[in-house]
Amino acid sequence: MASLGTFTLLAAFVVSAYAAAAAIVGARRASPSLVSSAIGAFYLVAALLTVGTAVIVHAFATDDYSIKYVQHYSDSFQPLVYKLTAYWGGLDGSIMFWVFLLAVFGSIAIRVNRERQRELIPYVVAVISLVEMFFLFLMVAHKNPFDTFLVSVPENGRGMSPLLQNPYMVIHPPALYVGFVAMTIPYAFGMAALITGHVDDSWLRAVRRWTIVSWLFLSFGLALGMIWAYEVLGWGGYWGWDPVENAGLLPWFTATAFLHSALVQERRGLLRTWNVTLVIVTFFLTIFGTFMTRSGVVQSVHAFGEDRTMAVMFTVFMVLLLVVSFGFVIRRLGLLRGQQEIDSWLSREGAVRANNWLMMFAAFFLLFATMFPTLSEALTGQRMTVGPPFFNTWMLPIGLALLFLTGVGPLLAWRRTTPANLKEQFLAPAIVAVAMPVALLLLGVPIWPVGACFALCAFVTVTIVQEFIRGAAVRRRASGSNYLVAMATLVARSKRRYGGYLVHLSIVLMFVGFAGEAFKVEQQVLLKLGQQASVGHYVVRNDGIRITDDGQKQMITGHVAVFRDGREIDSVYPGKWLYRQHEQEPVSQVAIRRGVAEDLYIVMPDFELQNQSMTLQIVINPLVDWIWVGFCLLGLGTLMALLPEEMFGFETARLVAATVPVPSSDAVDRERGGQGGR
Amino acid sequence: MSNKAVKIGLTIVVLALALAGLLRATLREGTEYFKHVDEVLANPSAWQGKNLQLHGYVVRDSILRKRDSLDYRFKVTAKVGDGVRVLPAQYTGVVPDTFADDAEVVLKGKLEADGFHVAPNGVVAKCPSKYEAKKNAAGSPGD
Repeated sequence: MASLGTFTLLAAFVVSAYAAAAAIVGARRASPSLVSSAIGAFYLVAALLTVGTAVIVHAFATDDYSIKYVQHYSDSFQPLVYKLTAYWGGLDGSIMFWVFLLAVFGSIAIRVNRERQRELIPYVVAVISLVEMFFLFLMVAHKNPFDTFLVSVPENGRGMSPLLQNPYMVIHPPALYVGFVAMTIPYAFGMAALITGHVDDSWLRAVRRWTIVSWLFLSFGLALGMIWAYEVLGWGGYWGWDPVENAGLLPWFTATAFLHSALVQERRGLLRTWNVTLVIVTFFLTIFGTFMTRSGVVQSVHAFGEDRTMAVMFTVFMVLLLVVSFGFVIRRLGLLRGQQEIDSWLSREGAVRANNWLMMFAAFFLLFATMFPTLSEALTGQRMTVGPPFFNTWMLPIGLALLFLTGVGPLLAWRRTTPANLKEQFLAPAIVAVAMPVALLLLGVPIWPVGACFALCAFVTVTIVQEFIRGAAVRRRASGSNYLVAMATLVARSKRRYGGYLVHLSIVLMFVGFAGEAFKVEQQVLLKLGQQASVGHYVVRNDGIRITDDGQKQMITGHVAVFRDGREIDSVYPGKWLYRQHEQEPVSQVAIRRGVAEDLYIVMPDFELQNQSMTLQIVINPLVDWIWVGFCLLGLGTLMALLPEEMFGFETARLVAATVPVPSSDAVDRERGGQGGR
Repeated sequence: MSNKAVKIGLTIVVLALALAGLLRATLREGTEYFKHVDEVLANPSAWQGKNLQLHGYVVRDSILRKRDSLDYRFKVTAKVGDGVRVLPAQYTGVVPDTFADDAEVVLKGKLEADGFHVAPNGVVAKCPSKYEAKKNAAGSPGD
């Protein structure tokens, strides 16, 4: 079976090379049949990689330990679902999963746009094929997941790290992958536009949905990573500015910037060069993120030597990518340059620009700070590192500024905003934004940064609510229905706009959650049996330790009673699991008592069985759950923006008809007529 | 035209300078030197009082814990099995699961006359396989 897998990789490499060559030659000679064959070859790559994936998944399911990769990341005790997800549990498999996804997504994107974007398609095929070739080459030449043991086959596997045997780890990597990989599609269309010189808006329209979808997955992947860190790693936080985390955040910033600036190009025809640049930079950052976390350049001093081959391969690819991409940008600069300039900074496009610069700055700062240890060593020979406080010092003001723009941008008019307009739009939000800090000050909340964050959150919320209410009022007057129905029609009719507002609102919720960090309480206590300790307004008591076993692991569970205001309110069970295959890596099971206001978060890092004493790490995390609520809303808003604009038009029209008072037949007719005429 | 260019140029220079200044100021407080135990042992006085991230291995059988407390004393060395060139360290708090004899550790803290004082939550321990696991947790290119 392993040789079939290796064969599919080799074949996929050859076929994608053909696809790239045939597509380019076909486009240059204007030969439809050659382009067709390139597209066929392109689909074939996806088919081959599907077979390869089936082979490796089958190997995992059947415990085929002759394959090194399977032996390394699986064992016979592992539940089936973790056996299957071990596919992307390690380096080699994750690269393969990457190419597999790229081939599938690419095929879908080609299939969808084949008729509409005839000029672009050949080059889209070529660009994606070239990217596939790089990753396939990486596997074939250096990291083949189908490598087998030549001499003796071990009887059992080593097993995936217990930390990864967690439901979040089943969906987190693929979500992030989908986000990363799907960013290749906008890049390929952008490059095709540059190569062919068709730099009008058609490429943007072709990739709009792709970008939103991949952005959604990227956000989702980041969120799941945070939840995993919070629930599994047991240090009481969810984000530590670890290089691996930063790698996921980098393209998120530039992709977010692109989503906004693409809107400006659609509406005003501005920012063309900028948009292409953003697409290239985003794609570059996805590759760079892979490189950074996979080659070990950042994590350790020695790591560069550990996988020098891979580091070199990646470096060559990235340099080529940048040179070629920006070479085409420079070549097409004349075509890209728009006729118009921004009229006024006090306009929607002005705000988007400011947002874009901040996002770019955030991305580059993050890049700099993440690479700082490597940079400092290269420049001075001294390896110096920066910790989370340094990141926070910088990212906090950037984040707040972005939050401010979230509120301001959507209220500004396109082109320019008149003073009267400004007053109408910003009066209410501004009053709240001023009143809020005063109120907080009276409550004793420090003004920087928490007070500022809450004030901005209130400001943005008011701007969004105001938009919904005003829009609904207009519709209500026009249709004569009630507020609720007017609101539903409004949202159904411009899903993209109001979906966007929901996403903005979700950002506010997340910032509320982030601000909670300022009130975090953290304490470590050692409790003998029956002993208690007070932490914040809680009291916890050690009620003993129990041991159970399920065959795969031994589970040690601490029984902890929680008191508040003298009353016992709950019992929580922090634990420690010892997996048979990984005795040296006990895994802490965090006990979290969730609440709207705060989480009580308890870990049992240490215990003694003889006298039943336990060490507890207790963290009170205020408001943290609002981050997860925010992510749910973000998903909802994004999905809404993705729905076709015509959807639900009919249903909401019926709703309107049902609520309009008699004599309503005219009104209904008018409403229906209005619908039809649209 | 040239006037505009001058303005833009000046703006860029001013912004760049401001940025560099801010970076310098924040970096001065925030940086820690990443050093191996042997590097520090070679010239301890030079590193005293500086923020360090000390990389090394826990000396076998050196971990002592005061009864009924979270006070730890242990020794670190640059090479597994080297029990001679060692640096004593002290720490109060919870240690990671993987903190054990011979474990590879990075300690955040300061070097004082009586040894290395580890800052709160300043013990990062990794055994090789866990290290790899963490990388994969990343799961992917990104995470």
